Amino acid sequence: MTVALDKAEIKQLTERSYKCRKNILKMMRLGEAHIGGAFSSLDIMTVLYNKVLSHNPKEPKWEKRDRFILSAGHKCMALYTTLADQGYFEEEVLWTYNSFNTRVPMHPDEKVLPGIEFPTGSLGHGLAVGQGMAHIARMENPPFRVFVMLGDGESAEGSVWEAIMSAGHHKLDNLIAIVDRNGLQVNGETVKIMDTSILEEKYKAFGWEVRTIDGHDYNQIYDALASVPFVKGKPSAIIADTIKCKGLSFAEKKFEFHHWHFKENEVDDAIVNVENSCREELVKIEK
Amino acid sequence: MRSNYKNLIFKDISDEAIMEDPRKILADELVELGKSNKDIVFVSVDSSLGASGGPFNKNFPERHFEFGIAEQNGMGEAAGMATCGKIPFIAGYVPFVSYRCFEQVRDDVCKTNLNVNIIGNNSGFSVSALGPTHVILEDMGVLRSLPNLTILSPADGTEYRQSVKIAAEIKGPVYIRVSRIKARKLFDNGHKLIPGKANILKDEGDITIIATGTMVLNALIASSILEKKGIKTRVINMSTIKPVDEEIIIDSANKTRKIVTVEEHSVINGLGAAVAEVIVKNNPVKMKFLGTPDKFAVVGSYEECIDYYNLTPEKIALQVADFARES
Repeated sequence: MTVALDKAEIKQLTERSYKCRKNILKMMRLGEAHIGGAFSSLDIMTVLYNKVLSHNPKEPKWEKRDRFILSAGHKCMALYTTLADQGYFEEEVLWTYNSFNTRVPMHPDEKVLPGIEFPTGSLGHGLAVGQGMAHIARMENPPFRVFVMLGDGESAEGSVWEAIMSAGHHKLDNLIAIVDRNGLQVNGETVKIMDTSILEEKYKAFGWEVRTIDGHDYNQIYDALASVPFVKGKPSAIIADTIKCKGLSFAEKKFEFHHWHFKENEVDDAIVNVENSCREELVKIEK
Repeated sequence: MRSNYKNLIFKDISDEAIMEDPRKILADELVELGKSNKDIVFVSVDSSLGASGGPFNKNFPERHFEFGIAEQNGMGEAAGMATCGKIPFIAGYVPFVSYRCFEQVRDDVCKTNLNVNIIGNNSGFSVSALGPTHVILEDMGVLRSLPNLTILSPADGTEYRQSVKIAAEIKGPVYIRVSRIKARKLFDNGHKLIPGKANILKDEGDITIIATGTMVLNALIASSILEKKGIKTRVINMSTIKPVDEEIIIDSANKTRKIVTVEEHSVINGLGAAVAEVIVKNNPVKMKFLGTPDKFAVVGSYEECIDYYNLTPEKIALQVADFARES
């Protein structure tokens, strides 16, 4: 089954994801951040929260909600701005970034912010935790689903492969792994630092059903996320090819923007740049 | 031996000993708890048969999860289950359920303060023939530094029996240190293991022996030996290593001249250190730390190792007597 979004929906999703990109940059007026992975993962998160997850921002602990775990916790600026946009908390919380005791630290903390399912930051933890939830979900009727987002750099962690092996073994079809494959990590190209490719074949070998998508094409994202489980009795992996720092034209595909050490005024320039990117995207949609 | 603790049934080494298998006790208790509490789940890392999960699996297969030899994954899974209101017990050899997955214990279990209960099996020298990769003498020290974690170190079958229910009742994470060596029954069923509370088993002298786990029996026997030599002792069972019973430590420092700690564990950062941390802030009396030195373990039988590290009752008594004579 293929599902498609209409033009108005794609326009709306584009506007929302770029609003989040702008908000991330506004937060960065207060301090540096892991912008690269936040921008590469934002389109996927936007579709997840607006179109896919069964959730209720007014009742973040609703028992039957789908769970989303950001295993690559450093991408949390994308999650914070998305959660604020969804109404989990007031946008003002974002403007406390980089201040003492902030509720939006550089890695997400479930104790201080509604909507954060689990604290992450050290890489390679999320998929195992998500699976624990998915096992319990299977005891429920109907079971909720667990979506875990990982990075391709993160996929070098051994614990990730323990979890991949385990999910395949247990045929957890309510577990969905989304790999934000932007190809870059803090020190350069993932393929040169530790080649985790071909991820698709590896997941398949461990008993997963896999789909590769363009992680910035809303229709492909939505179609994949709306089609899980791809096969009954198998966990689903979505390998999303993305562009590091997508939407900030001068930073795209540059590993130096994994964590951007910006100079004065560069953030304001970046906001203008992102606004232009958004306009260009909207024009493309109209065509 | 004269005892001041009414629930202590151990009187003398010559009495008939009731020996109990800690792992069997835990296995049976998990089944009992599983009957009354549907939220109890068992997380196995290829540890069902040897590490207390077998009977649980037989009784509640739908609540038994096998994750194979992959402890990082197992610990993370346990944390995930706990977020959904379940009360997981995860069991395995001490090194595998504490060190191999240390960061999962720290981040996923302790930081979140989830009700995940870790059964650390085969502690100390109880598998000493397996060598230093398996003989872990620093687990309490390593784990004691983690916020939110309660550490239980039961001394006998009565305490082991209660530790399972207690762990489930404590809302945060618990580590239960379990020896493979059969434990001599010390307490009757009226004895209550209360987390954070120690028991004064004997209260006679001006030197205190504080022991934990397997060493409580040895301390009691040592105390009898000392008594015959005219050296009277206060003997304390410290069954919770974290939070340690500060009140009883301060009381001992105030009422006795010296404190000796005895543990089947390194003298670094274990029971001795926990006691010292309390007394230096309150009443810094002299202390002696009995345990293992800052070295990896030798290989031998349990008895050989305990003797090598001077932890037999006779050698404890000798060291306490020497310490008592020091000015």
